Amino acid sequence: MKVIETINLSKIFEGVVPVHAVNQVNLSIEDNEFTAIVGPSGSGKTTLLNMIGGLDRPTSGTIKVNQIALNELSENELINFRLKHIGFVFQSYNLIPVLSAKENAEFVMLLQNIPAKDRIARVEALLKEVGLEDKMNNRPSQLSGGQQQRVAVARALASKPDFVLADEPTANLDSKSAENLLDIMHRLNKEEGITFVFSTHDQRVIDRARRVITLEDGKIISDVIQHEN
Amino acid sequence: MIFKVAWRNIWRHKVRSTVVFIAIALGLWAGLFTSAFTHGMMNQKIDSVIKMEMSHFQIHKPGFREELQVKLLMNDGENIVQAIQEEKEVIGVSGRIVTMAMLGSANKNGSVRLNGINPDDESIVTGINEKLVEGEYFRGVERNPILISRKIAEKYKVKIKSKVVLTMQDMEGNIVAGAFKVVGLFDTQNGMYDELNVFVRRDDMARLLGVGNSLHEIAVLLGRHDMAESMADKYQHVYPKLEVLPWMDLSTGMRMMIEMMDTYTFIIVGIILVALLFSIVNTMLMAVLERVKEIGMLMSIGMSKTRVFMMIVVETICLTFLGAPLGILLSYGSISYFGTHGINLGDAAYADMGFSNVIYPSLEYMDYLVVSMMVIIMAVLAAIYPAIKALRLKPVEAIRKI
Ligand SMILES: Nc1ncnc2c1ncn2[C@@H]1O[C@H](COP(=O)(O)OP(=O)(O)OP(=O)(O)O)[C@@H](O)[C@H]1O
Ligand SMILES: [Mg+2]
Repeated sequence: MKVIETINLSKIFEGVVPVHAVNQVNLSIEDNEFTAIVGPSGSGKTTLLNMIGGLDRPTSGTIKVNQIALNELSENELINFRLKHIGFVFQSYNLIPVLSAKENAEFVMLLQNIPAKDRIARVEALLKEVGLEDKMNNRPSQLSGGQQQRVAVARALASKPDFVLADEPTANLDSKSAENLLDIMHRLNKEEGITFVFSTHDQRVIDRARRVITLEDGKIISDVIQHEN
Repeated sequence: MIFKVAWRNIWRHKVRSTVVFIAIALGLWAGLFTSAFTHGMMNQKIDSVIKMEMSHFQIHKPGFREELQVKLLMNDGENIVQAIQEEKEVIGVSGRIVTMAMLGSANKNGSVRLNGINPDDESIVTGINEKLVEGEYFRGVERNPILISRKIAEKYKVKIKSKVVLTMQDMEGNIVAGAFKVVGLFDTQNGMYDELNVFVRRDDMARLLGVGNSLHEIAVLLGRHDMAESMADKYQHVYPKLEVLPWMDLSTGMRMMIEMMDTYTFIIVGIILVALLFSIVNTMLMAVLERVKEIGMLMSIGMSKTRVFMMIVVETICLTFLGAPLGILLSYGSISYFGTHGINLGDAAYADMGFSNVIYPSLEYMDYLVVSMMVIIMAVLAAIYPAIKALRLKPVEAIRKI
């Protein structure tokens, strides 16, 4: 089943020299994919992911998430849509500094009005899955960069999204932590069937992806399935 | 959870929040205490105005109060006094004859307000007998006794048993004079009053003026302050040809002063709150601006605008409510303490302005309630601008900054 579909998607940043950040992109992503968006700096990875995530509006073209056209949603509907359908992992500043790992992961379920009893159970299970069962009460400042990103993954999954978008989730991590984060994401993809779409520069991360989409100057220049696991 | 986040965010900057906290507490305290002080001063002034000067209401011939013309007499004054005395709410009625007179001693001459009174009635209405510091209340001197204040005694260099001469105009406009013997000295603590008023027996004065049983002034003391206006109104209807006025209309500016006092607390506290408002807005604005990325992230993951708005409002209210209860408690404590023990201003000049020199601050519960409401409104107002600032954030731009 198609989770994400873009049709002739374009984004032009107006300026002295207009920038064609995303240029006529047609793309479709199926359920259970583990896909990397790669390409040199400025090739349009962030812009593309932001539009797919409903954070930014395209200049032209359509984005459909689970058959719902995002352009037809109002600002407030879009916020609600993000809350219900998409999990986000950013490069940094993923967490609320004054809340513990547990509370951070719980927060998104609170926004979804899930009762406290269910929240606690789910959060504890998720933090266990990302290997943080003994750090649940630590604040972000008491966690390493890699641990913070793992909390962010748990938080992204807590809302039971259709897919998880991650823009350079490993950019601020050392290679061992990056490896570890990828292991967790990969396992969640295989065992729980979670769809991941992430952008990256890192060749070792690219190697782990099943499908690799390469952008250059806002255009897809290659789209390959590297391996089946 | 929103409360938890708000609460913990406040303590992210301990010093900054503590400064706001202390500013709010001290500001409220200063405002409430100042107004309690002024209230106390006013209440005492009102009390003394009623007890000493005006009673609850007075009756005169129209125009008498302006120039104290001897001719403007109420011929059936005694009957009116009798009639009012029957009233249930009435504690005492004093019928007087009043005129301006020249008081002369061996050392000095000056003008005074000469009150001819019935000593028994007057003691009930103004309690002037209790203010005696020397001598006796119209006892011990048979002929023409006079009661003067200690202030006048010092000024005119006279003592108990000294002789003074009172000179005035009678009904026909002739100058008449009488010799009086000082029988007692009083001190009401109200300098202005003391320098002006002297008391003699009404009969003695009536003989000099030739006014017989008629009266110039009838002063009535009631059981309750708040009955003054309605009672005055009632008797104005009974005696339409006379002028019946409650105490607040007897002295110029009094009514305005009282009405101003009712709003005084709120004006003072309002000004302080407006000043505090700016410091809170400033603090919250800083809190929002330094959290642009965090707020952008929250909006990205799906926090609604209403919730973002609420988050900032709750945080502002928490920040405000940290200081407000302390300020109100501090006020309540200090007002209660000084309300029973009093604040002694020493021999300050207040006494001469008709204010007492020991002030008992007081504030009504209603005032605390209204002030608390004002604080809540202020906190919400203070939150609005920073909250709107937060809402204006575009998640993509905030995220880009990451
Ligand atoms: N808000 C903006 N206004 C104008 N130009 C922008 C804006 N955001 C991005 N761009 C431009 O759009 C192009 C694509 O940017 P984008 O951030 O999507 O690239 P990227 O592939 O994510 O790069 P990186 O690997 O460095 O993160 C760039 O040329 C960039 O300068
Ligand atoms: Mg990027």
